[in-house]
Amino acid sequence: MRMSLYVPGTSPLHRVPAGWKLAVLLLCGVAVFLTRSVTLLGPAAGLALVLLLTVRAPREQLARQLRGPLWVLAAVVAVAALSESGHAALVVGLRLVILLLTALSVTLTTRTSELQGVLEVMLRPLDRAGLVNAPAVALAVSLALRFIPEVFQQFQEIREAQAARGLRGSPLALVVPLVIRVLRSAEDIAAAIDARCYPPARSRHPDRDDRLSGKAPG
Amino acid sequence: MTVRTRRPMSTQDLVLIALFCAVIVALGLLPPVSIAVIPVPVTLQTLGVMLAGAVLGPVRGAGACALVVLLTVLGLPVLSGGRGGLGVIPGPTGGYLLGWIPGAFVTGWLVKRFAVRAGGRLTSLAAHFAACLVGGLLVVYAVGVPWTSMTTGLGIGKAALGAAYFAIGDTLKAAVAAAVAHHVRRSYPIEPR
Repeated sequence: MRMSLYVPGTSPLHRVPAGWKLAVLLLCGVAVFLTRSVTLLGPAAGLALVLLLTVRAPREQLARQLRGPLWVLAAVVAVAALSESGHAALVVGLRLVILLLTALSVTLTTRTSELQGVLEVMLRPLDRAGLVNAPAVALAVSLALRFIPEVFQQFQEIREAQAARGLRGSPLALVVPLVIRVLRSAEDIAAAIDARCYPPARSRHPDRDDRLSGKAPG
Repeated sequence: MTVRTRRPMSTQDLVLIALFCAVIVALGLLPPVSIAVIPVPVTLQTLGVMLAGAVLGPVRGAGACALVVLLTVLGLPVLSGGRGGLGVIPGPTGGYLLGWIPGAFVTGWLVKRFAVRAGGRLTSLAAHFAACLVGGLLVVYAVGVPWTSMTTGLGIGKAALGAAYFAIGDTLKAAVAAAVAHHVRRSYPIEPR
């Protein structure tokens, strides 16, 4: 199972630092809502398409990512054209195309680890203000990545077992054992993590056990 | 809402959040089910969202959903049909994804407040169902519908009509989530937080 949408490559977009790409994407997202001019949005959409093509992503992956949103897009444009005007429909369609294509370009050219790095930088001030526990967030992300294939496999196992008992179509027979397995395994996993003194407690909280200080190991 | 005894998040809470995030993702990986009555294919992903709130409680349930949102933004194909990436948020359906966080919170809060104390089997089931319906459907749509309307410029009414299309499936999912949460609570009770 491939867990990341990243496509390895050496395109110009691959080489731009992740932080810059995200900043430009954010600006882009604000900018498209500031104008209603088709003469501006049209070329911008073309530019976004060119940008996506420079990434040289496999066609099937592009199709997979674009198929769903394009249906939504088509529906939205159709409703806008019928209820408002052709111009309004064009503006809405172009805006969404720009957002979709630029965001997909960034997603395809940026490693998850790079985005995680940006996330850490963004969380740092919040962590300092005591609002978020950045190492805990990082641990939660890596745990989730680790357990997605695991939970999916458990689900398949349960599905086969219940099918053998003749309970193929029953969602209760599938989901109840899955949830109970998950709750059970959580205790063991938590004990294993605690035994390894991870994540480090924040030093400013003396009431929390302070077993380990310094940066969390990646 | 009163905040009492805010104990810090333990490792086990963190693990439960991560595991339920994995459950939500895994349920989205399953091929969509077509139910004869409903014209649109139904994915089980939002079932996972309701369950996160109903089984884990408000804080951890919302945490699990926030983690799914975070993974999506990090460019992982965690949404149903293998979708993901930054483009989901500003898209027309981005509000539904973001709505999962308050949705799971409200579900969890209602379960903690009412369903846990419900005595009989039927009252417990009904209370869980109501909690899943209010949190997993009403709250999620309350974020999703204006979001669609904002990003597409369509009127609220039209966006709501689109949402109504999915409401039947989501009501069925709320019923399943309620039954699952009820059974889990009876056979493996954990304190909702």
